[in-house]
Amino acid sequence: MNTSTDSKNPILVLDNINLSFKGVKAITDISFNVYEGEICAVIGPNGAGKSSMLNVINGVYIPQEGTITFEGKQFKKMKPGTAASMGIGRTFQNIALFAGMSTLDNIMTGRNSFHKATFWETALNVGRVRSEELASREEVEKIIEFLGLQSIRKTPVSSLPYGLQKRVELGRALAAQPKMLLLDEPMAGMTMEEKLDMSCFIQEVNRNLGTTVVLIEHDMSVVMDVSDHVVVMDYGKKIGDGTPEEVMNNQDVIDAYLGVSH
Amino acid sequence: MYYREAGRLVKSFAADRRMLPLMEDRFVTTLFVVVVMYGLVTWLASDYIFSAILIPMMVLGVATLGLNIATGYTGQLSLGTAGFMCFGAFAAFNLIFRLDWMYIPLAFFLAGLIAGLMGIIFGLPALRIKGFYLIVSTLAAQFFAEWVFNAYPWFLNYTSSGVVNLPPFHYKVFPFQELTPLNDAFWHSSRGRYLITLTITIALIVACKNMVRSSTGRNWMAVRDMDIAANVIGISVAKTKLMAFFVSTFYCGVAGAMYSYCYIGNLDFMIFNLRRSFLVMFMVIVGGLGSILGSFLGAIFVYGWPILVTRLGDAIFGGGTLDTAFVENNSKIVVGTIIIVLLIREPGGFAALWNTSKQKLRVWPFSK
Repeated sequence: MNTSTDSKNPILVLDNINLSFKGVKAITDISFNVYEGEICAVIGPNGAGKSSMLNVINGVYIPQEGTITFEGKQFKKMKPGTAASMGIGRTFQNIALFAGMSTLDNIMTGRNSFHKATFWETALNVGRVRSEELASREEVEKIIEFLGLQSIRKTPVSSLPYGLQKRVELGRALAAQPKMLLLDEPMAGMTMEEKLDMSCFIQEVNRNLGTTVVLIEHDMSVVMDVSDHVVVMDYGKKIGDGTPEEVMNNQDVIDAYLGVSH
Repeated sequence: MYYREAGRLVKSFAADRRMLPLMEDRFVTTLFVVVVMYGLVTWLASDYIFSAILIPMMVLGVATLGLNIATGYTGQLSLGTAGFMCFGAFAAFNLIFRLDWMYIPLAFFLAGLIAGLMGIIFGLPALRIKGFYLIVSTLAAQFFAEWVFNAYPWFLNYTSSGVVNLPPFHYKVFPFQELTPLNDAFWHSSRGRYLITLTITIALIVACKNMVRSSTGRNWMAVRDMDIAANVIGISVAKTKLMAFFVSTFYCGVAGAMYSYCYIGNLDFMIFNLRRSFLVMFMVIVGGLGSILGSFLGAIFVYGWPILVTRLGDAIFGGGTLDTAFVENNSKIVVGTIIIVLLIREPGGFAALWNTSKQKLRVWPFSK
């Protein structure tokens, strides 16, 4: 854990991002840095533009203005494929698992960038196929063990309870061995126990693998516990940026969360 | 044949990745293929069973598997199946007719590739549109096939009737064939054509199973289940869709070539009409989306059931006493009703029926 972010290298620099949908401004002039190896929480009331922000970072949305710099490479337009290949992993707010596939296969798809075999090699089951499949399986088993998913390895994900689906989705993102993870409300709709499990997983990934984490979360106690750095958004604007303590004492943030009498 | 997975522990990832993880399954399947399909059936079956039942079932099974790759595994609806079969059939004919040294298996393979290229072209709209709209654009393949072979008689070697009879052409199946007892006459016979169809069908099933259990199949299914998420985790959706169309239409093309050469013995673009596309689509739906076994069960049921019902009708009411048209129409009603009931009871088709019955057997005395 490092609270003084100044000494660290930014892994992600967002510069002056503006995003609008047919005149509706979702994000206005947002710039912030995410530093290597930290857990950065993006918080804010509903509709503040947090999910749009993540979508901009990994190229699902293309901002009208502004640049995204990831590991020194600057992009005006990020593409989801490029983001994935550069090591940006992602989970979604309303689970985006492959419903017809098993837990194992879902996590295996996360490793698709490690599979170089062409389709005819796979059809004939020759060449790289066998070694790649087995190598991936080994890595995926580590993730399954880490997340405690052994008993549902072959279960279709559509039949899993919500909390487990969220976990499988994290597993799928981890399978790509990302440098940075974007987690959109990883703990939404979970019981206290599941939330604790999930925050443990996130912290362990961050500490043991050194993965930078950007997460959106509404539960303030979780945010203050796990994050090194907090960015606060409201109405598409950034109203706070700093350590959890700094942000908690920021008057704008307090106003946004508690409301002000006009 | 009553056995279960209980106590069969998989001890390595390689063993878990096998096509048939259970030793008993492997044994039974090998026994079935070698002893029954290549042995007893080849030896004992009659001309009627070969040419009217087994060959068409396998050929339509391959076409169904082809459509299932696009629709069941990758989620791309298509109504161009018969069109792609048509491309395959004409490609095979022209390769065999125009190139003297051509071998049947190679011609079928190349016919598949040509149909596959057509599949990529007609699959291009899939990059922008989905679902029912895609059906409309794949219809273009269907109408294009019917038009091009009508408008350019070169493809038919200028046959005035529009139908080419295939058997008179040379029938080279493998090199140095003339040195073996399996001469042209053997390959012309229904038994020879059955062996060609069976071998190609098995090869295509194995290839499909291999793709499905590896990264290729996972990418297809990822695109089917949620293409945005697939894109975000680094799967190229466009490439995956086109690849699925290529493989799918490759299978359809080979099926078309087999349909002409091994089943009906002539080449006629009128046979590969829209009705046949629908028929293959019914086979996919009845058999089960995204299932190899289901593809063949669907083909066997949709093709075989009317024959069975007609024969039953003949047996019960006495062949000849009733008008054949009457029996045939009644069999259609019966078949249609069964399909409706089946799909209401089990929307997943025969593949799902098979899986639920397996699961029920597994837990049988303890739970229902």
